[in-house]
Amino acid sequence: MRTYVLKRLVIAGVTLLGMSLLLFVLMRLAPGNITDILFESAGYVDEADRHRLEAELGIDRPVIVQYATWLGDLARGNLGKSYRYELPAWEVIRPRLPVTFELAVLSMLFAVLLGVPAGVVSAVQRGHLLDYVLRVLSLAGLSMPAFWLGMLVILTLVRALGWIPSMTYVSPFEDLRANLGQFLLPALAVGYRSSALIMRITRSTMLEVLREDYIRTAWAKGQHARGVVWRHALKNASLPVVTLIGIEFAFLIGGLVVTETVFNLPGVARYLVDAIQFRDYPIVQNLAMLIAVVVVLANLAVDLLYGWLDPRIWYRSA
Amino acid sequence: MSRPLLALPLVLVLLLTTPLPAQTPKHGGVLVTSPLSATSSLSPHEESTVSTVQQASPCFNNLLYFDPARKQESADTLIPELAEKWAWQDGNRTLVFNLRHDVKWHDGKPFTAQDVKYTFDVVRGASDARARLRVNPRKLWYDNVQAIDTPDAYTVAFRLKHPQPSLLLMLASGYSPVYPAHVPLAEFKNHCIGTGPFKLKEFKPGELVEYVRNPDYFVKGRPYLDGIKFVVIRDRSTQIAALQSGQLDVAGSGWNKTNAENAKAGAPKLTVVEADSNVNDNVLVNFKKAPFTDARVRRAINLALDRKAYLVGPRQGGATFGGAMLPKPAGVWGLPLAEVSQLPGMGDPVKQKAEARKLLAEAGFGPSAPLKIVVSTRALAIYVDTASWMVDQLQQVGIEGTLEQIETGVWHPKMTRLEYQVALNLTGVGIDDPDANYFENYRCGSQRNFSAYCSEDINRLMDEQSQTMDHAKRLAIVNEIDRKLQADGARPILGWGKQYEAYWPRVKGWAVHENSIYNVSRRQDVWLDK
Amino acid sequence: MATVPAVGVAIPEALPASVTRRSALWTFVRRNPLGAAGGLLMLLLVVAAVFADALATHNPIRTSSHVLVAPGAEFWLGTDNLGRDVYSRVVHGSRISLLVGVASTLLGAVVGGVVGLLSGYFRGRTDLIAQRVMDVMQALPILVLALVMAAALGPSLTNTIIAISVVIVPRAARVVRASVLSIREHTYVESARALGVGHARVAFRHVLPNTFGPFIVLVTAQLGGAILVEAALSFLGLGVPEPYPSWGRMLSIAAAEYAQKAPWLVIYPGLAISLAVFGTNLLGDALRDSLDPRLRGS
Repeated sequence: MRTYVLKRLVIAGVTLLGMSLLLFVLMRLAPGNITDILFESAGYVDEADRHRLEAELGIDRPVIVQYATWLGDLARGNLGKSYRYELPAWEVIRPRLPVTFELAVLSMLFAVLLGVPAGVVSAVQRGHLLDYVLRVLSLAGLSMPAFWLGMLVILTLVRALGWIPSMTYVSPFEDLRANLGQFLLPALAVGYRSSALIMRITRSTMLEVLREDYIRTAWAKGQHARGVVWRHALKNASLPVVTLIGIEFAFLIGGLVVTETVFNLPGVARYLVDAIQFRDYPIVQNLAMLIAVVVVLANLAVDLLYGWLDPRIWYRSA
Repeated sequence: MSRPLLALPLVLVLLLTTPLPAQTPKHGGVLVTSPLSATSSLSPHEESTVSTVQQASPCFNNLLYFDPARKQESADTLIPELAEKWAWQDGNRTLVFNLRHDVKWHDGKPFTAQDVKYTFDVVRGASDARARLRVNPRKLWYDNVQAIDTPDAYTVAFRLKHPQPSLLLMLASGYSPVYPAHVPLAEFKNHCIGTGPFKLKEFKPGELVEYVRNPDYFVKGRPYLDGIKFVVIRDRSTQIAALQSGQLDVAGSGWNKTNAENAKAGAPKLTVVEADSNVNDNVLVNFKKAPFTDARVRRAINLALDRKAYLVGPRQGGATFGGAMLPKPAGVWGLPLAEVSQLPGMGDPVKQKAEARKLLAEAGFGPSAPLKIVVSTRALAIYVDTASWMVDQLQQVGIEGTLEQIETGVWHPKMTRLEYQVALNLTGVGIDDPDANYFENYRCGSQRNFSAYCSEDINRLMDEQSQTMDHAKRLAIVNEIDRKLQADGARPILGWGKQYEAYWPRVKGWAVHENSIYNVSRRQDVWLDK
Repeated sequence: MATVPAVGVAIPEALPASVTRRSALWTFVRRNPLGAAGGLLMLLLVVAAVFADALATHNPIRTSSHVLVAPGAEFWLGTDNLGRDVYSRVVHGSRISLLVGVASTLLGAVVGGVVGLLSGYFRGRTDLIAQRVMDVMQALPILVLALVMAAALGPSLTNTIIAISVVIVPRAARVVRASVLSIREHTYVESARALGVGHARVAFRHVLPNTFGPFIVLVTAQLGGAILVEAALSFLGLGVPEPYPSWGRMLSIAAAEYAQKAPWLVIYPGLAISLAVFGTNLLGDALRDSLDPRLRGS
């Protein structure tokens, strides 16, 4: 088991290192740099001033040196300074984390609450009308752009009620009701989408479990045994569902980019778009790395959880 | 869902020239508004966007300012702020300010003449300036200042190379606040120490700027508000919804006519103000790149763009036509209106398009060898819409255009380096003033002269008008320059977009100027009737 | 385009050999009404894209003075803020969606497929390195990676396709690798090698054809995702630039400016995206059901 965990950790480390290289190269490929941006707000470019700025920010040094410096700083927990705001990058990122975290967790919660029961019912009712209805509904969720759904929601609300969720962020510790009023709709819009995947995997696992002979027999025995069946079937189905939740959690962050924009939530996802547009390297690199760390850790957690639930995996891969 | 909307007529409340029947202003309340966009800093001297001016002005004061209550800004509407009075001396070559004695910075330190000297030495890039701006967009404004003297702690004298009446207006612009000499420039990236009516409470980058009332403000009884909150809302439809639902008291920065109509249709109680503004949509044709070195090709492009279709399409009726200077009556220096209607692109579209085709044929382009161009524009909706319209107009005279959208960060570098063929650009001028406009955008070698148009004649006339103290004489020269610029197609102007502000009736004293959007953001006279 | 009969035939083991093409299609429709509906939607999308010029009633980029006109007889789905016909733009927009969707999926799937094939076939060091590279490419959410890619490459049709395909590569690689690994153990592969057949021949002649099933399922599933990512990128202003009428871009301009006065600007392009993706998802689901051996036979 130790070997297994160790191996997973090494892989995670290698992945993150590769990610850092990829991000660094991509950001250097992008046309224009932060000095362009600083002049952008001035409406012109002065070449002499620009060279002075590049030297000041250290982006005139060889790319290798810049990369090494970044990694070194990262290892020491120093995220550098936002070029645009001249604030420590961490100070700019930190207040945005709880926003995205809350949105992601609520979305995931909705996704599970909608997806698992729908998947179970759909499996049990396979081929019946209810199965089709649920599958169509869930696939519809998977097919609609989350930002479009968000736009429709806001449009409808303001037309029908003259009310929209608060446009300034309210902390849950300040005013829980206002906070939830602000987060429920975007979370529902994002969660609906993720629920489709969860429903799908729940359904197919449930189908498999329900086909097992002993389950069929138990089912046939009648009402009393069915409770047992439910428990048993659900337990078996939980493994892939847990896996999917881990993976989906990571992908959810991608969907948040546009949703945060539509609902004006000051989270990290939306901020990444801003930072990319402003070539704010420390923010883009560190923010994307942060997201990558979350994704890799989520996958690692899923791997370990999987191994814990099904110990055979440890021995096989060790 | 295609149910036609009830077409609610937009009732435009025009700005009143006379004050409203006296209503005693009330103190208190926090006003919430949404700026054009997030600001990168609270340092107006380092930025060139109205976003910064909107969000930093409440913190600062100028030596003098434009009277918020007078809708047209001019030399006649200047009011004192940090300076109690001013005078031209020495044959109009020295401008002397007498400063107030009772002003304190937000950190409690006293304000003196040293702060003024420091600020404008920094901005003009004086060799002995005590600090240096990393980016200095308005250095050119103070090119004519030779030295700044401080005979005593409350007197400042600007010594000029030659007379320049415009200097007063430049000093009154929202871009020209006085900075404290004792606070490092870098602080203004995310803090603000000013003398202004409001003190900074919180600056959340990309999200929020919040002010509270400055209890020690030197104007007694001001400001009325307890605070101002600028909430950044990127999506414009969300902005409109936020105003309608009452979350915002005021919105409208950057809106077009349809946005304003939408807001009003959904919430009829809103007050909507329409006014001219000194931001124009202009076409850049690269004078240095073939085939645009051919005057016939440039003129063909200019003629192909039907200005009336521009008004209906990209601007939905919310624009006025003019030359390089904001047209009358909103503008002080515009060409006579009779001349405006004769400018290229203003005539019968069929005839003008035929003429454009003829010019193109003379230059060697036609159906068999069409002119193929790339129209560049900035990747912002307001630019892209107009540029898409342009591509279609050009297609109608046989020019095959494709649209290139340039990301905000790369736009100005590309324009400065002349890496484009034809471009659609928006130009806002800080003050409605020929010095500020002409020297920046039309002078040979200026960094913002993006089309690389260059004429020594024009340069000479520019210098001449700049030193002319008599208004009527100066206006004649300014018009002459404008005429030549339009005839040469230096930078064809499509039109001057109108500005819109929408607010709830509880908001009082929200000033709007019709010839600038940059110099009304102090907001010390705004109050809430709640 | 993955039309229904072609798919049914491409995977011989999925159907009894005696079944003819026509009855295969019929069986598919009877067994998978949802899948058939999906196929129909896809067909509609293809028809719209191919015959856009004939189907459109107006030039999709021609501006006019008929600004923000509500849907009616002249403009079926209304006009936008520049007086362009929304119906014609939606019809032409199908080209971009289909082109970006298919091109990026195929590009990603082919590159990923080759990587998966090689890494699964040779295993060892090749596999290790390939898998770590795929790990990196999967360590960022789709949209975030596409966003960074699109920003780095600049907004253009080609770059949008590349940015989205990069996201699909690792998925394709995983799927193909997994099936190669299982096929590789089959005796016929071993015997081919024992007979002295070269690696390339074995890999492409014997192993590759057997990975088609899962591969087709993957391509169909990713197609919808690719269309959605294109829409999101265009919505954020990083996708296919004007004047191409792209559904995502139509939404972004409408969203910023005119949603309340002209809801048709928001509703129809969004509906078009949703239906197109819905079609690929229905079809993909049905294909998965009929090809996934674990689900067959009940």
